Amino acid sequence: MNLWRVEWLRLWRTRRWLALAGVFLFFGLLGPITAAYMDVLLGRLAGDVQVILPPPTPVSGLEQYMGNAMQVGLLVVLAIAAGALAFDTPPERATFYRSRVSGAWPLLAPRYTVTAAAACGAFILGTAGAWYETVILLGPLPVGGMILGTLLICLYLAFSVAVVALSAAVLRGVLGVIALSAAILLTFPLLGLVPELRPWLPGQLLGALTGLVAGGEPASYVRAAVVTALATAALLPAAAFLLGRREV
Amino acid sequence: MRGSGKGDVAADAAVVTTRDLTKRYGPLTALEGVDLTVPRGSVYGLVGPNGAGKTTLLSILAGLRHPTSGGVELGIPRARTAVVPDTPSFEPWLTAREVVALARNLAGLTADPEPVERILATTGLEDASDRRAGGFSRGMLQRLGLASALAAEPELLILDEPAAALDPAGRRDVLDLVAGLRGETTVIFSSHILGDVQQVCDTIGILRHGRLLFQGTTRELLVGRAAAAYSIHIRPPSAPSATALEAEAWVTAVERSGEDRLRVTVSSLDAAEAGLARVLAESGARVVAITPVEADLEHVFLELTG
Repeated sequence: MNLWRVEWLRLWRTRRWLALAGVFLFFGLLGPITAAYMDVLLGRLAGDVQVILPPPTPVSGLEQYMGNAMQVGLLVVLAIAAGALAFDTPPERATFYRSRVSGAWPLLAPRYTVTAAAACGAFILGTAGAWYETVILLGPLPVGGMILGTLLICLYLAFSVAVVALSAAVLRGVLGVIALSAAILLTFPLLGLVPELRPWLPGQLLGALTGLVAGGEPASYVRAAVVTALATAALLPAAAFLLGRREV
Repeated sequence: MRGSGKGDVAADAAVVTTRDLTKRYGPLTALEGVDLTVPRGSVYGLVGPNGAGKTTLLSILAGLRHPTSGGVELGIPRARTAVVPDTPSFEPWLTAREVVALARNLAGLTADPEPVERILATTGLEDASDRRAGGFSRGMLQRLGLASALAAEPELLILDEPAAALDPAGRRDVLDLVAGLRGETTVIFSSHILGDVQQVCDTIGILRHGRLLFQGTTRELLVGRAAAAYSIHIRPPSAPSATALEAEAWVTAVERSGEDRLRVTVSSLDAAEAGLARVLAESGARVVAITPVEADLEHVFLELTG
């Protein structure tokens, strides 16, 4: 038994993997169906009013998936990451770990890695579901754009979990950590109000999957990807440093 | 500070030494100039009223909190220290066996199952070894806390109220276990149950308002007070004798308990030995028994902290 196995057990025995995989897979399967039958759904709701929509495309199936997955799904990721990374609460449990390891990194590394890997795995599963249904219902999607777009979204998820790690180094309680992480991730897009900054922001990556599938240039996401990777790499040591200084 | 402190407890034989240790939380002073010396192989009892600073002191010794000033010197590597809080908490979805195995892994020890099973049996958890910690009572969590600490084979074991939630039999087991560690492992043991401390500990520190009022061996703490009082059993009435005793300069207090018992606290053993029988005889008392009252930790504690 070691700290890496503890993290896998945390995911498995608390059924957190089920919540993660379930939410992404649910939206992955629901998104393309919603896109394919949107005109029928709206027509039933509208009654006598005739609703005319443009014919659904494969990209609109993915857009439906991403819209839900990166709102509800991301919140689930934040909550699960906070549950693992807010390890100084309760203090008695923190005593068990903190008195046995030197510094915070040995605790932070497996918690971050396993949570980020699980979040990416769940997203990939949901994307695979969305891809399959889109192909069945709406038509084929470009393989290169799907793979690259999925990897860029995974990079954003890894960044989001790193934001949770930093939040856990600032606050102790799980709810506070979730709230702070969500606030940070919601604040970043506000910087996009400055057009010159927009291509550099991690939030740009959220549009990578649909953008690349729709024929967008991969080069347009390079700056955001580099910033996101560097920010992730900087957030983790910063979190470890702050956690290492904190008293239990 | 009474007691031996730096005198009898040789600092070079100490596992833990603190120098002028002070801890402040904003305007609140939790510890003030604490000079603690814990002899190697001893069972050191840390006692004090609520809010005295015991948990803060133990947390600093365990490296979980930082002193505002002063320092802690450990005579062993930090990694050879294990600490058990008063209400241990573990991942609720880990079994007792997994918690102990994890504690051994974190201490850098082998994953050999034999010591894990032995520790579970020693702490009375062998029947619960496959149960998850989330279903444990507070008493069982204290046992698991002790098991996880012993799993690390520590040289210094820090226990914060280790028997507080246990039933009498469980408390006896834990006290026996702690007493059995004497000589092999240095134990710092905080407790509100003074009887436990008196039974198990060979060295005692008394904290009050963050200051160490006494530090020394249990014998040093109690022996100096062993004959400070007498229990006197006489035939009723006891009032005339009590009045006569109160008039003596060497008598500091007379407590009547019923019509036939007196507890007489004296300031001078010599004067008491020379005068007690005389005063009782002159007051017409029919004496059944005169017994020196052995000081117990509770009385000494109340005297020092009152």
